[in-house]
Amino acid sequence: MADNEKRCVITGLGMINAIGNTVDESWNNCINGVSGIKEVRSIDTSDCYAHLGAESAEHFDVEAGDDEQKMDRVSLLCVKAANEAIKDSGIIIDDSNADRVGVIMGSCVGGAVSIQKFFTDRHNAEGSEDTSDIIKMPIGVIANNVAKIAGAKGVVTNVGNACAASTISIEYACDLIRAGVGDAFIVGGADSFSALAFGGFTALHALDTDPCSPYNKSKGITLGEGAGALIVESYEHAVARNAKIYCDVLGGGISSDAHHITAPRPDSEGQMNAMKWALSNSDLKPSDIDYINGHATGTPLNDSTEIQAMQTIFGDNDNTAVDSTKSMVGHCLGAAGAVEAIYTVKALTTDTVPPTIGYSDEDLENLKEKAGKLDFMPNVSKHKEIDYAMTNNFAFGGNNASVIFAKNEKNIKPLENNKVYVTGFGIVSPAGNTVDSYVEAVKNGGLKSEGDGLFATVGADDYKEYGIKLNFYRKLDKLSQTQVVSGRACLADAGVTVTTDNETEIGMIVGTADGPATEIINFHEGLIKNGLHAGSAFIFPNTVYNAAGGYFSINTGVKGVNVTLTNGMQAGLQSICYAYNVVRDGAEKMMMATGLDENTETMKLLYGKLGYFSNDEAVKPYELNGSEFVLGEGSTTMMLESEASADARNAVKYAEIAGYAMTHESVSAGTLAGSDAALDKAIIKACENAGISVDDIDAIVGFGDGNKTVDAIEMNSYGRVFKNVKPVMSVKTVVGESRAAAANLEAVHAALTLSGKLPSKQDAYVFENGKAVKTTVDTTDYKYMLVTSFAAGGSYTAVVLKKVD
Amino acid sequence: MDAKQTEIAEKIKNILVENLRIPAEELDYEIELFGDGIGLDSIDSLEIIAGIDQEFGVQMTGVAKENFYNIEALSKYVMEHMED
Repeated sequence: MADNEKRCVITGLGMINAIGNTVDESWNNCINGVSGIKEVRSIDTSDCYAHLGAESAEHFDVEAGDDEQKMDRVSLLCVKAANEAIKDSGIIIDDSNADRVGVIMGSCVGGAVSIQKFFTDRHNAEGSEDTSDIIKMPIGVIANNVAKIAGAKGVVTNVGNACAASTISIEYACDLIRAGVGDAFIVGGADSFSALAFGGFTALHALDTDPCSPYNKSKGITLGEGAGALIVESYEHAVARNAKIYCDVLGGGISSDAHHITAPRPDSEGQMNAMKWALSNSDLKPSDIDYINGHATGTPLNDSTEIQAMQTIFGDNDNTAVDSTKSMVGHCLGAAGAVEAIYTVKALTTDTVPPTIGYSDEDLENLKEKAGKLDFMPNVSKHKEIDYAMTNNFAFGGNNASVIFAKNEKNIKPLENNKVYVTGFGIVSPAGNTVDSYVEAVKNGGLKSEGDGLFATVGADDYKEYGIKLNFYRKLDKLSQTQVVSGRACLADAGVTVTTDNETEIGMIVGTADGPATEIINFHEGLIKNGLHAGSAFIFPNTVYNAAGGYFSINTGVKGVNVTLTNGMQAGLQSICYAYNVVRDGAEKMMMATGLDENTETMKLLYGKLGYFSNDEAVKPYELNGSEFVLGEGSTTMMLESEASADARNAVKYAEIAGYAMTHESVSAGTLAGSDAALDKAIIKACENAGISVDDIDAIVGFGDGNKTVDAIEMNSYGRVFKNVKPVMSVKTVVGESRAAAANLEAVHAALTLSGKLPSKQDAYVFENGKAVKTTVDTTDYKYMLVTSFAAGGSYTAVVLKKVD
Repeated sequence: MDAKQTEIAEKIKNILVENLRIPAEELDYEIELFGDGIGLDSIDSLEIIAGIDQEFGVQMTGVAKENFYNIEALSKYVMEHMED
């Protein structure tokens, strides 16, 4: 009998890609070996050396009402797939369950179509660009759009791990269900066909001029387009509503190569770690796996390392089926994991393995040499009894993800229930790149902008201190540079040296609102100016949201879980929630949780166009008289560690993470007004999860930034939730609105306060009669501090930190 | 190097500084670009090829790697293959 508390099932599927607008259409074409690869339609590839792609239908019905006009194509694809999955599952999302239904979506290039449109318009005639395109640009808006259509009010976030993103979304949903955070999740991912990806892979000479031929000719990839959505649900929830259950989701594995930003490890270690961890977390042996849907991009390096990994782990099995559905639908990037997971579920539940198409008679002869006992399913699908199926995806940044589906219930590896402590910090901020520099800035009442906001500086001294070589750091955009330095500072502060003994026991969750927007736009501007064929091979690898986390792993050798979350500013707190789960469950001993965002000319342009850019000298929150805020930037990293690990090495414990909650109340993309109830719920639930009353909170580190809508929501919520007036501290008055970096810094500020690293006398606000009054508080006896943050679109995160006894 | 080659070499150096973010003070015309010198990799070589194509109209895809040894070798190849 399985432990049903840990049992996660798939109850709904939805998909659109080059060979179908629905799961049934796409699946039928898939098992019949129909290729969706054609001449590219949506962008002009005439000046490029390759011209093929696997695009979804140009027009399709979305059923998104008035919101349809406000969405980029990537969200339209995602909503289309999500609507089908919801309908397929029969789940009714209403007031009775919405708080426990979440949305986690993966994407690689996000709103790249809108980015291209905005900057092409601007290039052609400055001032003609459409401000409404700005809201559509970030990956972060995708899950919000799905949540709004679906009515979901639980955890809402996006995974930005490039080509492994939507595989990770499935695993994270299972983690959250097993942690009791939610009952059902709409997961998956989407990517639209974009100049960004086509120009990037052209620059890398990674496109095949013929239809891609994974595991076969391996001459390069063919880009695809699409979306996949799955309903992942707790078994009890599914049974209680008499849902159709496709299959169980067992364990997954997420690893980091610590090798190269685009190339896989030659020894396949990272890929094998993901597969091995998925097996061990599922309590399965390699010989149990009947079918693997491979990553199988068709590039020489991917295919050779992946075949090597599979031969090493599964090579002794009799007749494990391995296929590449990318041979038909191309590489759908952030949607690939979801599309392939759906094909895997269909294969498992129909005992039918799709083919890898494109083998000639000569190819079949060559295949015999490299296939060994693996069956690469050339050209035709086969009937095969499947009990356990695995799907694998690997991404830029060196991230690998594997997940296993099972036809029947199965006991999986039990989770631990560790206490989680904060044992280190790394702060790169406009105040400097040490914890002491931040403490000093707080003592001095904050920094002053000279007009363009506040800027962090990473330079020669930092690289020298951490032994980071020119040949490494010159590759990184500033966002990644700040991340590497803050991560290294955090490791140093925690007293952790990465060795071959602990390299897989340490991981990282990165949270970012805007990601590498500046590098993405640099790349686009190159395409617009020089042509689609002349993109920068140097810049392109930095355009993925998980580049910063990937570079950190490469620099330090950290090989554990490595995930990048993006849903507005609160992503810097969501990273703490994810990292906390990983450590509490016992999947890693140490997890670094980061928030990072940048302040550049690009940010000034975009926030300026939206009416948010302030040239004031500092953030002045809670005055309720403006919309603008002073931009800041940086990266803040917090080390979270299990009690046993911290005790074993006598680590300093700065604070305990006592509980968290993530909530959502949908409002229009890019807005916040009307989502107040979700902040109330986040605070109340976070306290519940911490095992305390809201009145036990001694003080809050808040998110007010001078935007009156944002500030009013925060002030009013605290008035409703708390009986007594709570002091509210602000990190943004110190270092500016550095978005996800500020959200993470809020938690760091709380931990520094509880541990006595910050002075006991601190500035704070109290809200009385609708007004904020500055005061000084004595933090000596504080036991519990609350940290809050938000994302436009209506998402909130609250975390409770507890003083260490 | 004659004046013409030096002019080309300077432009190539600028490509390396601008496109590959190598600090100018780290570069002279003789330092080895790949391997033990500056330590460039295959992605950098794509960027160099694209930059030289754009600046000089000289195609270096598939060209023997000794021509990429340093800025001097690159400028020599470019000079010999430029159309006046």
